[in-house]
Amino acid sequence: MIYEKEKRYIVPFDDVPSPRAEMPEISVDERRGNFDEVETGFPESVAVTEAKRCLSCRRCLGCALCWAECGVEAIDFDMPDEVLELEFDDVIITRGQDNAFSAIDPAWGYGTYADVITDLQFERMLSPTGPTDGRVVSPLDGEIPARLAVIQTEPEGDENHLLSSVVLGVNESILALDRTEGLKITLISPLSPDFKERFLADAEKIAGLSMVEGKAGSVQRSGEGDPLTVTYSHEGADHTETFDLVVLLTKPVLSSETQALSKKLDKPVQ
Amino acid sequence: MADNRVLIVGGGPEGVKAARQKSEEGAQVTLVEKFPSLGAERIPRDRLIRSDEGFINPDLDKVRNDSNIHILPYSDIQKVHSGEGAYFARIIQHGLRVDNTKCNDCKACIKVCPVNMLDDFNEGLGFRTAVDFYNPVTAEYNIYKEDMPVCQRSCPLNLDIRSYVGLIADGRYLDSLKTIRDRLPLPGSIGRVCPHPCETACNRQYLDEPISICFLKRFVADVELNEGIEPVYETPEKTHPEKVAIVGAGPAGLTCAYHLARMGYKEIQIFEALPVPGGYLWVGIPEYRLPKKLLQREVDLICNMGVEIQYETRIGEDISFEDLRKDHDAVFIGAGCHKGLKLRVPGEEEYEGQGIIDCVTFLREQALNPTEGKGKLIVIGGGNAAIDSARVGWRMGFDEVYILYRRTKKEMPANPWEIDAAEHEGVILQYLAAPVEILGKDGRATGMKCIKMELGEPDASGRRRPVPIEGSEYVIDAETIVPAISQGTNLEFLPQDHEFSLSRWNTFEIDEDTCQTNIPGVFAGGDVVTGPDIAIRAVAAGRNAAMGIDEYLRSK
Repeated sequence: MIYEKEKRYIVPFDDVPSPRAEMPEISVDERRGNFDEVETGFPESVAVTEAKRCLSCRRCLGCALCWAECGVEAIDFDMPDEVLELEFDDVIITRGQDNAFSAIDPAWGYGTYADVITDLQFERMLSPTGPTDGRVVSPLDGEIPARLAVIQTEPEGDENHLLSSVVLGVNESILALDRTEGLKITLISPLSPDFKERFLADAEKIAGLSMVEGKAGSVQRSGEGDPLTVTYSHEGADHTETFDLVVLLTKPVLSSETQALSKKLDKPVQ
Repeated sequence: MADNRVLIVGGGPEGVKAARQKSEEGAQVTLVEKFPSLGAERIPRDRLIRSDEGFINPDLDKVRNDSNIHILPYSDIQKVHSGEGAYFARIIQHGLRVDNTKCNDCKACIKVCPVNMLDDFNEGLGFRTAVDFYNPVTAEYNIYKEDMPVCQRSCPLNLDIRSYVGLIADGRYLDSLKTIRDRLPLPGSIGRVCPHPCETACNRQYLDEPISICFLKRFVADVELNEGIEPVYETPEKTHPEKVAIVGAGPAGLTCAYHLARMGYKEIQIFEALPVPGGYLWVGIPEYRLPKKLLQREVDLICNMGVEIQYETRIGEDISFEDLRKDHDAVFIGAGCHKGLKLRVPGEEEYEGQGIIDCVTFLREQALNPTEGKGKLIVIGGGNAAIDSARVGWRMGFDEVYILYRRTKKEMPANPWEIDAAEHEGVILQYLAAPVEILGKDGRATGMKCIKMELGEPDASGRRRPVPIEGSEYVIDAETIVPAISQGTNLEFLPQDHEFSLSRWNTFEIDEDTCQTNIPGVFAGGDVVTGPDIAIRAVAAGRNAAMGIDEYLRSK
């Protein structure tokens, strides 16, 4: 399992799970009619055992293995941070690369199934500088998918988002189809009127991509080794279809830092 | 054009585009990006593309080679404020910890690095090590060393938890305590009462359970106490002559005094209305959670640094606020929230003091002059003050103790372990009920008319709003009724015509960085700014204010 928390990733490892220490207390009978302290404190051995459970969160701790290994002595742990005090006449705040995780409904299987990824992750996968040098592979088993679904997860409300996310989904499909032989992509979204007017005709001409005007419901896997099952409604009927990789079109969320800066300076985020 | 300096925050496509535009308009541009590499090669979201034009950004090379654009990668904006038509920013550019002019791209460092975390440059697809090159094209090698782990970041005071827990694991208890005291002068007290947001954030919970951080803090404080060690908090040789007044000897005021003393301020006076120190820690948190003796010792250690506390001195009565300002170079207000809010139901005013007593007064009187309880006690509310009042009442000897709360246990804002402890001790919790009227006879409260509630739609707080069920009124008898619905500030110590800007909750509005109010030289922090909140946040405010006061006095 992989855990995400405020843009921090941790990878669990093989420490033997151990419950945390319990605080010893005086009994309820001893408490009535007096104000004696209820919790009596950890004995030394308990405190040390408890402290040893700390993972130190396995960030760089300056273990210096890299420093020892580096032949050209390029590693310098003491390289200082630089503090710059600067004055400006204007500030422009943009959303930057620091995408906050939007809360994704568990119904979409994100976080549960490794082969359900977000549009932003798919973008990195398609990038020549990304983790797979631009190849489309399933993070579950490293296989090249034959059937891929791109589905809209937040169809309600924001028309601008609905438009830009589907355009991104179509563009990602164009790149994926170009790089993957025999791939079939199904894009499921309510499709905004704006999208239909400006882009749908061109999108429907793309070989290998089928545009489905509808609403996806859930992503599930019936058993280990099975493909993913996507449920969706289309033209008043419910459908289920199986896929090897599912890409979720998500609504971008500004990082809390960007939001705070925007609020503090009373400047919109561009 | 020196008069057009533009700061652009964020090195994504929007930021890169804005940088190019502003440079073309003749501006001097500073482009700040969090990651070690700009990330503008994206897929367009406003037009359909051909398969060969996905990750091309023609602006990027222009921006990289533009002498009017200063790119600051791997940088964070630490502080920014505006004034007189300009913006002032403090930007931290993190050291890469790798000299890229020497690096030969052999990747040996990556092979040996034991850190294995998801690759944040790739949105969590795949793994990376702490040493990484981010963008393979530009290959900026760097070692990612977080400024602080999640526990430390979630602590309002940013205590270096990883260090002090690690020192306990090594058996170095007093070193651990010293690390804690670098920021927190009340480790034994906070180690008992803190609701520990650090443990809520602790990554270990994903393996099994979070580390018991708070109690470990208490453990090292107790080691010193049990071994009879009396530490001396050091003050520097170089001192400052300015006089600082602190209103209130609560966690905010004490911490402010502690840090000012550590900076070399000799003339620090705390004015405390009560005969005891600690503020709410003394008169709000009951003895069974925090023994007064222990709190007193932690206060004494601060006083030993030369901090003076004038007890039973109420500003606005014994000394006017204006005199306080005149006699001191800076003032810190840490007066807390010591006013229990009213239920606003009929009968409440009539029987006030005659069976009706708000939780702040109730807890304070028990802390200062304990009495015994008799008959039935009803506490109204769902926060920690309600639980404390009930558990105190149970210890005072009330025959039956009830807590009445208008929502359910799930929505109760009190710490779950406190609710459990109250139930365990025999306090009876009645959910989905609200007071309608206080009933009385011969000038004394005798009971309360209540109404049953049900949960409706979520309100602004995200909790489901309780709605009265018509016709479900019922009466409960009680000798003592303690409303514990919330607390507010009492700002009567300020002159009538004061010019402080206050929020609509009657709290001070301050500059977040310095804790200064709108009146220069007057600072505020703790509950008097935030409303009723946790002690560690007041401690953090006291420390921030000390730094703000020092900055103010040193630039005077």
